[in-house]
Amino acid sequence: MLSFWCSVIVMDQVFPSQASGPFGRRLRRERGPRVPVIVITGFLGAGKTTLLQRFLTTPEGAGTALVVNEFGEAGIDDALLRSSADETVLLGNGCLCCVSRTDLQETLRRMVIERERGEIPDFRRIVIETSGLADPSPILQTFATDRALGGVFHVEAVIAVVDAENGLDTLGWSSEARKQVILADRLIVTKTDIAAKAADALTAQLRKLNVAADIAIAVNGEIDPARLTEPASMARNLFVAEAEHSDGISSFVLNETKPIKWTTFSRAMETLITLRGSDLLRVKGFLDVEGCKGPVLVQFVQHLAPPPVELETWPDGNRASRVVFITRNMPEKQVRDLFEAVKALA
Amino acid sequence: MSAKDPLHSGEPVSWNFKLLSQNNMSGFGGMGEGMAMQIAKDGRRIMWLAHESAPKNFTGVDVTDPRNPKVIVQTALPHADVRSNSLEMSGDILAVAYQTKKKGMQPAGFELFDCSVPENPKSISFFDCSGPTSRGVHQLWFCDGEYVHMAAGSPDFEASNPNDDQFYRCIDVRDPSKPREIGRWWLSGTRKGDNVAPPPRHSLDKGYRAHNCNVYPQRPDRMYLCYLDGGMYIMDIADKSQPKVISHWTNSPPYTGFTHTAVPLFDRGLILVTEESTEDNAKDWPKLIWMLDARDETHPVSFSTLPMPPVDAYKNRGGRFGSHNIHENVPVPTSFKSDQLVFGTFFNGGMRAFDISNAYQPKEVAAFVPPAPNGSKLGAIQLNDVYVDERQIVYTVDRFSGGLYILECDF
Repeated sequence: MLSFWCSVIVMDQVFPSQASGPFGRRLRRERGPRVPVIVITGFLGAGKTTLLQRFLTTPEGAGTALVVNEFGEAGIDDALLRSSADETVLLGNGCLCCVSRTDLQETLRRMVIERERGEIPDFRRIVIETSGLADPSPILQTFATDRALGGVFHVEAVIAVVDAENGLDTLGWSSEARKQVILADRLIVTKTDIAAKAADALTAQLRKLNVAADIAIAVNGEIDPARLTEPASMARNLFVAEAEHSDGISSFVLNETKPIKWTTFSRAMETLITLRGSDLLRVKGFLDVEGCKGPVLVQFVQHLAPPPVELETWPDGNRASRVVFITRNMPEKQVRDLFEAVKALA
Repeated sequence: MSAKDPLHSGEPVSWNFKLLSQNNMSGFGGMGEGMAMQIAKDGRRIMWLAHESAPKNFTGVDVTDPRNPKVIVQTALPHADVRSNSLEMSGDILAVAYQTKKKGMQPAGFELFDCSVPENPKSISFFDCSGPTSRGVHQLWFCDGEYVHMAAGSPDFEASNPNDDQFYRCIDVRDPSKPREIGRWWLSGTRKGDNVAPPPRHSLDKGYRAHNCNVYPQRPDRMYLCYLDGGMYIMDIADKSQPKVISHWTNSPPYTGFTHTAVPLFDRGLILVTEESTEDNAKDWPKLIWMLDARDETHPVSFSTLPMPPVDAYKNRGGRFGSHNIHENVPVPTSFKSDQLVFGTFFNGGMRAFDISNAYQPKEVAAFVPPAPNGSKLGAIQLNDVYVDERQIVYTVDRFSGGLYILECDF
């Protein structure tokens, strides 16, 4: 499954560059030249649309293509689109909005083609607003391979919006809501103005479900636009994740202070994916790979993985492998044991 | 790629570049193709810029804060019939080329300045190339503090065709107060009296003259010399008094000459070669950046070009459209060096970055086409040159009025 990884990236074999690593040109940032994608999840009534409507009018929101992912859900409350039957609607501020009613991948492909044809305005980022019940995993998978859209787009952050008024209750009864929170890089709490007291309890619950994510508070439906656009910073928050969640979901971090062989890591992951791919909800981290100068960023969403990229420098000066696993019914010990076994055999 | 694609539509666009600032050089924003960076003794970062034409000679800009560049010195030329289109810097010494409009005028040569106090450049010496057959120096290369390699005329060089008056000259400036010529080379047939016939003229007849003469410390015995209508030469300069041709590459005909700059990517066995578009409205299209396989330096082979926006979207936008300068991996500490990213200027096609990690499939990864600057008579930007510093801050200049644009790579 990952055998293409083992041969690593096929670089220019005729004119190899000593300045590049086995994963190609070292990038200054994970996105490289790809279009940034922000995925916004959150239950109906959480306040996603209000946040986005305001964001789209800010200077920072200019040039955003909003994709409303209606797949699997009828009649999403979308004030931006009510007046039009068209699939793509031009908004102010150089923004546009597009409804994806069937297949997200198809919608995004169409947007790329229409942009090249000049049929829709240029856009500098994509924001995907998911339907309330959406599981973010399939959306992340859309971007997980080059064959899909990974070569053009890059998911910068997954954001879950939770409202202070009903959020705690929703998290109690909805496994989908819990999963949205668990898989997010950033959490935005809304409606604190009308439910100030509930906000503290909600924040505590969010922290329990996702110790790694930033938590930002929206005030009157507004938030610093940077909280919607900035990339999830692994250096800042990702590597503290150690939590037992509900629904059999847990998160843990594999740390390794010594450089590891790429084949060891890729074979261990290949085995994990073969045996339990659907239970690997999200895996993301830095690796200190033997022979590489910078950190190698790896990501997996269930069975799929975008090609790893090497960064120019370690962002926090801490040269050590750190990979966060968010798994379902897969204890940390089993994963650690597997890695140790592969390492011993390699 | 379509003409309507916003990155290639001719309209202003900024994709994966973030504009940090623009400075119109105190109203003298017509810039040439000389860009050099100095770290002053007090730690300030000074960018030295050549002007496209008189009245200004060169400008020093404090770019320590790239969001707030400040002109700290701007010098004047003695008269309107001379231009100083090219400059380079080594340590605190700035070399500035002077080319006159007509042969026989002065000053025609190059001048060395001590810029150890950037606000007060002091002339060290002037190397005179003037004479009845010479317009002086168009382009120079000066990165090692020892030699100026230049495209220049000379009072003792009469071209067989008046268009072929500048050839390669190597000047020893180890004693900067006494520059002296130690070697020269010209294309056989371009000097009156040569025992071979003059070269055939190309359709646009831009001349057989030297242009960029790049030399790098990885191969101090090699020079990558572009000779306009003559193509590109790899030269053996182990003995600087007797430069020898190792190999020659040309695409013209059927192309139309004006081979401009060659940048070797030593580790990869590649050479990038640019042409310059010199005709408005893309009448000399296509002007491209070529990728050469130079694993065997005796036999360079072109095999790809960097992707260009569609000519139809740009040709009527005003001024020139096509390739010109690229960032040259200048061998000084303040220069970005890469054999995988190329930054190039394309006049009204703006400034663009390319990922060439797969040399067979170069990819555009960023573009910057600003609106026509204030004072533009053409109604379009004419980005002329680009320099990338070691922090990957990108500096690009407009040929007529926009001055300096400073950008951050957002990729």
